[in-house]
Amino acid sequence: MASLTASSLSFSSVSCSFKPNQVSNLRKASLSFSGKGFPSHRMPALRFRVACAAKPETVNKVVEIVKKQLALPEDRDVNGESKFATLGADSLDTVEIVMGLEEEFGISVEEESAQSITTVQEAADMIEKLLEKK
Amino acid sequence: MASSLKYVRVPPNSASLAEARQRVFEFFKTACRSIPSIMEIYTLHDVVAPSHLRSTIASEIRKNAHVTNTKVIDMLLFKATEELSNIVEHAKQRHHIIGQYVLGRQGLDVGTKDQGVSDFLKNFYKSNYF
Repeated sequence: MASLTASSLSFSSVSCSFKPNQVSNLRKASLSFSGKGFPSHRMPALRFRVACAAKPETVNKVVEIVKKQLALPEDRDVNGESKFATLGADSLDTVEIVMGLEEEFGISVEEESAQSITTVQEAADMIEKLLEKK
Repeated sequence: MASSLKYVRVPPNSASLAEARQRVFEFFKTACRSIPSIMEIYTLHDVVAPSHLRSTIASEIRKNAHVTNTKVIDMLLFKATEELSNIVEHAKQRHHIIGQYVLGRQGLDVGTKDQGVSDFLKNFYKSNYF
């Protein structure tokens, strides 16, 4: 179940750059969605896709920090694709959110990467990358 | 450690508003990155959370967000850098930090001093024009 949700995340993730594999994975996944159970030999392929996008709990932590920073109400829907600008954050808010993420995950973000972050998903992907490097 | 942190040579003039913006963000990041050591120096661990200090710094920056003259922005950044270096090298004391950055509008004055006084006197104490 968890791998199914993770693979659906990787479909919507814009930053995943494995184009040919994504198309073939779509075909594989549509086959597995139609049936209740999927053959176990599909599992390794689906698990490999998880490494490309950010983990759901990372995205959730990012969403939580964003909500607290911008003082958004709890029922406001914030997902991977929300841009910071649409949520009402100006540039100082974006920098502050990045600083909050730095503190939360114990990473250190350089200049160019910080400039390019516009959505929640990009932030989560960058965090994953930095955590892997450590 | 403290003096090496603050030895950022701020060049005298920002060429454009965009460069001044970049400098402001640089300053904000430096300040946020020195928050852990500030909490260590003044033992603020039970008093305030780092996120609270971050939002205080951000609101101070936002107070001057309407400024468009790059020279004024440079001057404000210089003063801010000076303040930050004073704090980081322990030139201030704990009650300064708590009064100026942790507490709200009134700071350390609890406000019982002038409670029975008339409005005229309150305005008079504050400024010449009311």
